[in-house]
Amino acid sequence: MMITGVKITLILLATTTVTSLCLGTVIAIMRISRIRIFHILGNLYVEIFRNIPGLFLILFFYFVFPEVLPSSIGAKLNAYLYYPVVAGILGLTIDNASYVSDILRSGRLSIPHGQRDAAISTGLSRVQQYLYVLLPQMYRTALPPLGTRMVHNFKNTSLCMAITAPELTWATQQIESLTFRGIEATSIATLFYIVLAGIMVSVIILLEKILKIDVSSITHSKTL
Amino acid sequence: MIKFITANKWFNNTHVLKNINLEISKGEVIVICGPSGAGKSTLLRTINKLELIDDGEIIVDGMYLSDPKTDLTALRAEIGMVFQHFNLYPHKTAIKNITLAPRKVRGLNRKKATERALKLLEKVGLVHKRDAFPVQLSGGEQQRVAIARSLAMEPKIMLFDEPTSALDPELINEVLDVMVSLAKEGMTMIVVTHEIGFAQKVADRVVFMDAGEILEVGTPPDIFVNPQHPRTKSFMSSVFHIPIFDEKQEEEQESSS
Repeated sequence: MMITGVKITLILLATTTVTSLCLGTVIAIMRISRIRIFHILGNLYVEIFRNIPGLFLILFFYFVFPEVLPSSIGAKLNAYLYYPVVAGILGLTIDNASYVSDILRSGRLSIPHGQRDAAISTGLSRVQQYLYVLLPQMYRTALPPLGTRMVHNFKNTSLCMAITAPELTWATQQIESLTFRGIEATSIATLFYIVLAGIMVSVIILLEKILKIDVSSITHSKTL
Repeated sequence: MIKFITANKWFNNTHVLKNINLEISKGEVIVICGPSGAGKSTLLRTINKLELIDDGEIIVDGMYLSDPKTDLTALRAEIGMVFQHFNLYPHKTAIKNITLAPRKVRGLNRKKATERALKLLEKVGLVHKRDAFPVQLSGGEQQRVAIARSLAMEPKIMLFDEPTSALDPELINEVLDVMVSLAKEGMTMIVVTHEIGFAQKVADRVVFMDAGEILEVGTPPDIFVNPQHPRTKSFMSSVFHIPIFDEKQEEEQESSS
């Protein structure tokens, strides 16, 4: 049960990290866009979903979402064994993406205007400007807060226990109530959370180091 | 090659370009000078449509900039631009900075683009810095890479927006040397600069601007040594530091007349 819990938690973590990063990027670009409707929709997204508790979103996708859909699809979803996991992924993604988009937007704002001028003047299209010039720099500058956000999202996966997704916190609870070996179960779960978050943080620090090789030498080159 | 026909531009209520009429032919080197806020950079940036004009017309190599059907990518690919602050991509090495646009816009493969980039790096004397990131380069080196980056698109026109004003005095010449050799190769160049030496050496014509207007156009000696417009006179005397126009003499003349 514990091992399944670890597996499900890892699945939740891996999928939501990727999906919320993708969705967050799209929302961030929409918010920066000069096309009014994109700008408004992007801002609306952040203002709505950043202000709703993550747990609430997860509950929404589990209980309400299948009801809103046509009954045939809704019934299938309800019958699907892993629907709690799917609902968890949806809720966590929607929640985390609003934060990610805000972090990336601030990353974009920190890029000097000249970067875009240079990209435009060499004839790069708007998509190419983002792909090769702006996005790489956005992720780089946003990496430290982005990393913190992803660790936060990892901890939020435990919220999925509320909708009986068999992740680690849920498993711990089950073991406790079935076998009364709460101390052992909780200790193992705690250790797991700490170790995994620790690994995430180390990866982020490593990434920062790799990406900032050239940045750390700024001071060096200036003294030359 | 480039023709401005009564071009006008406003930033909100400020009239930043006033009835600009200017024709630049192929192979010509034009230096634009004038006090800050004169609209020099804005004028330059209208040529590749980084800035739009509100009134009038600009024709670049037969392309009408006001025409919505004008292919902007094609236009910009023909015009290289070099900026005051270099604007190299900080996350890419020198060579990747240069190969990006040729590969993505011109569709060159990696090998061809790299060959071309290396040739250009040789031209600006920086082959040994091919794998350096911008922060590992001095200002002068960054600007030379930036020039190579623009040239990699094989443009017909090169725009320089104060290319040396962010550089240490010692590094200015290495950049100017590259520009001089470019001018001698017959490149059409429009350069916003206060490097009088450069202008005298290679400029065919000097354009003096103030408050959004072109006040005077002429050969370098016309503008620098023998300016006609009083605004040009006062500007030149302050640029040269050593007053060429003896103010005392002028005052005497004024008082005697």
